[in-house]
Amino acid sequence: MAISVSQIPHGDPNVDQLYAETRDLRLNGFLLFMVSDLVLFSSIIFAYLYLRNSGQGWPPPGFSRLDVAFAAFNSVVLFGSGVTMHFALENWKHGNFIKFANWMVATIVLGAGFLSGQGYEYWTLYQKMHVSWSGSGIFGASFFTLTGMHGFHVFAGVIYLTVLLLQATNGKYTQHKHFGLTAGTLYWHFVDVIWVLLFSIFYLF
Amino acid sequence: MAVENRDPAVHLDRGFWLVTALLAVLSALAVYATIMWHPENMPQLPEAAIPADQVDQLFKFLTASAAVIFIYVVGYLVYFAIAFRVRASDPPDAVGVQIHDHHQLELWWTIIPTVFTIVLAIFSVKIWAGVQFASPNNGLVVEAIGHQWFDDFRYPGVHGIVTDEMHLPLGVPVTLHVTSSDVIHSFWLPSMRIKADMIPGMINTLRFTPTRAGTYPIICTEFCGTLHGTMNKQVVVIEPQANFDKWLAGWKGKNKNASDAIPVAGTGTVNLTGGDAAAGQKIFAQKCSACHAVGPFSQKIVGPGLKGVLHDPAHPKLVNGEAANPEDAAKILQKGYDGDMGHMPNASQNGISDKDIANLVAYLNSLK
Amino acid sequence: MAVAAAPTHGGGVADHIHPEPHSFIRRYIFSIDHKIIGIQYIVTAFLFMVMGGLLAELIRVQLMNHSGTFVKPDTFNELYSIHGSTMVWLVIIPLLTGGFGNFVFPLQIGARDVAFPWLNMLSFWIFPVAGLMLYSSFLMGAPVAGWTEYPPMSLLGGPGTSMWAAAIFLIGVSSTLTGINFLVTILKMRAPGMTFTRMPLFVWGQLATAPLLMIATTALGAALAALFIERQFGVPFFDPTRGGSPVLWQHMFWFYSHPAVYIMILPAFGMISEIFPTFARKPIFGYKMIAFSTVAIALLSFMVWAHHMFTSGMAPFLQLPFMILTMFIAIPTGIKIFSWVATLWGGKIHLTTSMMFAIGFIATFTFGGLTGVYLSAVPFDLHAHGTYFIVAHLHYVLVGGSLMAIFAGMYFWYPKMSGRIMNEFWGKVHFWLFFIGFNATFIPMHWLGLLGMPRRVAVYDPQFQFWNQFASISSFVMTAGILVFFINAIVSLRTGKKAGANPWGARTLEWQISSPPPYYNFKKVPAVLAAPYDFAEPLPYRGLEGELDPNVPAPVAAGH
Ligand code: HEA
Ligand code: HEA
Ligand code: HEC
Ligand code: CUA
Ligand SMILES: [Cu+2]
Repeated sequence: MAISVSQIPHGDPNVDQLYAETRDLRLNGFLLFMVSDLVLFSSIIFAYLYLRNSGQGWPPPGFSRLDVAFAAFNSVVLFGSGVTMHFALENWKHGNFIKFANWMVATIVLGAGFLSGQGYEYWTLYQKMHVSWSGSGIFGASFFTLTGMHGFHVFAGVIYLTVLLLQATNGKYTQHKHFGLTAGTLYWHFVDVIWVLLFSIFYLF
Repeated sequence: MAVENRDPAVHLDRGFWLVTALLAVLSALAVYATIMWHPENMPQLPEAAIPADQVDQLFKFLTASAAVIFIYVVGYLVYFAIAFRVRASDPPDAVGVQIHDHHQLELWWTIIPTVFTIVLAIFSVKIWAGVQFASPNNGLVVEAIGHQWFDDFRYPGVHGIVTDEMHLPLGVPVTLHVTSSDVIHSFWLPSMRIKADMIPGMINTLRFTPTRAGTYPIICTEFCGTLHGTMNKQVVVIEPQANFDKWLAGWKGKNKNASDAIPVAGTGTVNLTGGDAAAGQKIFAQKCSACHAVGPFSQKIVGPGLKGVLHDPAHPKLVNGEAANPEDAAKILQKGYDGDMGHMPNASQNGISDKDIANLVAYLNSLK
Repeated sequence: MAVAAAPTHGGGVADHIHPEPHSFIRRYIFSIDHKIIGIQYIVTAFLFMVMGGLLAELIRVQLMNHSGTFVKPDTFNELYSIHGSTMVWLVIIPLLTGGFGNFVFPLQIGARDVAFPWLNMLSFWIFPVAGLMLYSSFLMGAPVAGWTEYPPMSLLGGPGTSMWAAAIFLIGVSSTLTGINFLVTILKMRAPGMTFTRMPLFVWGQLATAPLLMIATTALGAALAALFIERQFGVPFFDPTRGGSPVLWQHMFWFYSHPAVYIMILPAFGMISEIFPTFARKPIFGYKMIAFSTVAIALLSFMVWAHHMFTSGMAPFLQLPFMILTMFIAIPTGIKIFSWVATLWGGKIHLTTSMMFAIGFIATFTFGGLTGVYLSAVPFDLHAHGTYFIVAHLHYVLVGGSLMAIFAGMYFWYPKMSGRIMNEFWGKVHFWLFFIGFNATFIPMHWLGLLGMPRRVAVYDPQFQFWNQFASISSFVMTAGILVFFINAIVSLRTGKKAGANPWGARTLEWQISSPPPYYNFKKVPAVLAAPYDFAEPLPYRGLEGELDPNVPAPVAAGH
């Protein structure tokens, strides 16, 4: 049994206001984790922009621009999965567990779809243009490092969401206590936001 | 908040003002010593160029003010620590004067350093501008190229590189471009108080005007490998224009036939994607076939025969010992190679561009 | 205020008392108790300090003679690279954050542990593993390009360089996790009534440091990962012959490493702010300004990194904002220095060893800070960069600053950690040997640098030999001082005077409970009514009455 609040003396207004006995701080920690993850991406994005602007022009001689149309389609798939994830969590909060499961499955499928799209893009780049990670100068280095890092995040996310779905169906969470699901949703939106950044700096500008 | 317990018995007493006066005297002495000090008194640090005197002024300004700050901070620190130590006569639970802050005092010690910092910033910017633009743009342009573990120089009108010490004419503004052929070095002229990193693939510029004849060290201050510590053997010789001209003429003669291609790394690797073998074949006929046959390795004209150079299992390596793959072949075309068979010219000597190299390599790659 | 139902999860639930473990391993090895973890950090970091110090002494032995025949140049380069890396990442940062941070600040805010005890344990255990990895690089050709590892040199360095990158990356992960943990703890787990303006200043130091740990360290992680990938897989980021940029590394590295130097000083400032009022028996002078300047320094620290790169050839006009912002850091730092000195005025000063180190800190740190201001002025830096002047500056702030504060903190909190007081006589011997030895070692380096001695050299111009020998011999005096400290710390564990709860008459919360504190820290979570430094007033806490009374029962752990 945790120590009870009644043991804390009262009287000072600050005292009552500031303290709540047993709080779940995991969300705070998770948000900070995402902040540092964002810094990790930002640093490499900075590196990319730095290299891109250090002469030569972009894309460097010998490379053509990336295929926007396909990537745009693929982005829609990813953003769609953000929407389905949102519905999943909302349904959970309202106790519609079946609908939740359906939306989750949709999210996972869309996530996997995005990954396959990216795999296809990598493959065409390699086959048609001989662009590779280590053999194509800073073009290959920055493109594959950043999108690869993002892809890894999506991959981890797909696994994570699958685990969450299994946990949820096994009754690990209740309608009101579902830290894992909240964290999963936040994470998934985070991955979307990163993709917005990457898409604009690699394909649009 | 607790009630303030100001002890009326403790105030800024005579001891405090005495110490303050003493510190003022010490500060004045320190400032005086700093002003009197001149680097010319130190044989290692003559002021041999135009920005040097300005940098020294900044140094003296910094030292004088730092000395005053340091003397006051440490003076009061030590004085308080001694004057306010507990005495044997104090009761064990004696407490000091219970003051929490003093807004006016805090305001002052925020404002004064701020003002000082602004003054310092303005002064530094002024000196900075002096150093940056110390000498006009139209001076003598010299290039220094760092290598592990020495520097080479290039002078206008001299082919190739000058490999001994660096010479500069007295009183002539110099624009010095520095770069490196391998790793990062640094080009420090302590007697001129200037320095720039020599970074492969990048050119940094120093501008100064030598004002004092003599021979001064050039020191590498950026770690550059095993013998970094010995990269201080070279010197710059400042001499009258006539002597300089004679020295330069000597190098012009000596280097008459040298190549002007700069052995500077960092020009970027040739990008081989999109190389066109057909275009390569044309260039090969124009520029290469004088020395290379399209035949087996042993079919030598000046250089070896190149048929199958990238696919011949009997020759897994190129003449320079690198792998027989397109990237390394491109390097030979780019940089040239001097081996047992003779001289393979580099790209600028052969007059081929990066695009040509890509095409040529594609062509060589197609010869099986 | 309703009491929530007992939570079912261990991690991240504030004030959830874990059952006290009884097995030795769970209690002292894989402990989740912030106090034990803090001590683990301190012990481990001091062990690494012996290693790093040994390397430093080997450096000094080599430099006794200008033609340096003691070790080969390449070995010498390994020595200072690992010396710098060890001292920064395995000694000072772990001591100040993981070590003293962990042990002291949760007690000071009246918490029972940090927010994520298990994460805390993970952070700690990464640290010795990363340390061993770093030292294992000696077996495979350690890095040679200094703790800054500028490419292309670091691309050419031996296989150990990749090991170095991996080890520092891990240390970075550990730091990031610690930063997250501390930030949540300070923001969310303060005792009732502990508003921001009632927080002890050491907590302010940790609060300002935690975001630096979180953000700057992650940026370094990105740079290290890129270096590792480039070395192992040939992916070009920094190699200029393949389109990369060596200067990019410098930006990424210093974007971390400049904030890192404040990671190494802000908690030290916090310590001084605890020690000064305690031994002067006076409220800290200008509490709010000190707290505010701590935050100001942390913010400014992200805006000045390029002052390490003035010679690297950035656009000249970019130099100016970096120069001016760097100079501005002197202002908040000055506010602190002046406030500390003013705290002494009118005090009843007890010159204990801890206090002497704290006073020594002010003197030497001010010196080092002032040479920092010299360096921030671009024209001067163009002369001094890459010379022994830099080595002098960095040791004045790191050894004369951070390390002195750490010693002050050791003498101060040792009784809280062990229940015994360290021997004061040997403490003073330590102080004088160290203080004199330190200044004599590093003062000559200022003029050595200005006169033309570059740093990171195994051999040097004969004209500099005298002062190098002088520095080397002095460094042996300093080493002797540290040796005295180690022996004192070990012997006092058994023979030291019993401390009691509050040997120094300090007023922050950790001194109001027994030494060492019990597993659960506080029997009742106390309520805080005011800032802790009013020595003439009764203690501003409620709910501590039963702490030292064996008849008041300990809180019961929540079962799992
Ligand atoms: C963070 C803190 C820190 C600390 C505490 C120290 C401590 C010391 N440092 Fe270090 N140093 C750095 C950080 C630090 N250093 C950094 C970042 C660099 C730059 C590296 C680079 O260029 O990349 C550097 C570089 C550096 C150089 C320059 C190398 C070069 O450029 O060629 C030198 C040279 O004298 C030096 C000396 C010393 C000495 C004598 C000590 C002494 O204070 C050490 C004293 C401590 C001990 C000796 C250990 C305790 C003693 C015992 C347990 C007794 C038993 C030991 C023996 C009998 C030997 N250091
Ligand atoms: C604890 C670590 C620490 C701290 C706190 C500092 C503090 C400062 N440092 Fe230092 N620094 C290092 C660790 C640290 N440094 C290291 C390790 C390196 C070398 C890295 C390497 O290359 O290996 C380095 C290098 C370094 C450089 C790069 C030099 C070069 O390589 O060319 C510069 C340049 O601007 C600099 C500046 C400063 C300044 C302005 C401060 C300021 O924060 C200092 C502020 C303090 C004061 C000014 C004193 C007190 C103030 C007063 C009494 C008020 C009145 C004073 C005035 C108004 C001026 N430092
Ligand atoms: C002036 C004569 C000369 C010209 C012109 C010349 N080469 Fe060469 N080349 C050489 C020599 C000599 C060597 C061998 C160097 C040695 O090993 O000593 C060589 C070596 C080579 C090699 C390496 C062969 C191997 O087996 O490793 C390649 C590839 C090559 N040259 C390609 C070219 C191409 C393509 C051109 C045209 C752009 C060219 N060379 C023009 C003289 C020349
Ligand atoms: Cu070249 Cu150091
Ligand atoms: Cu810095």
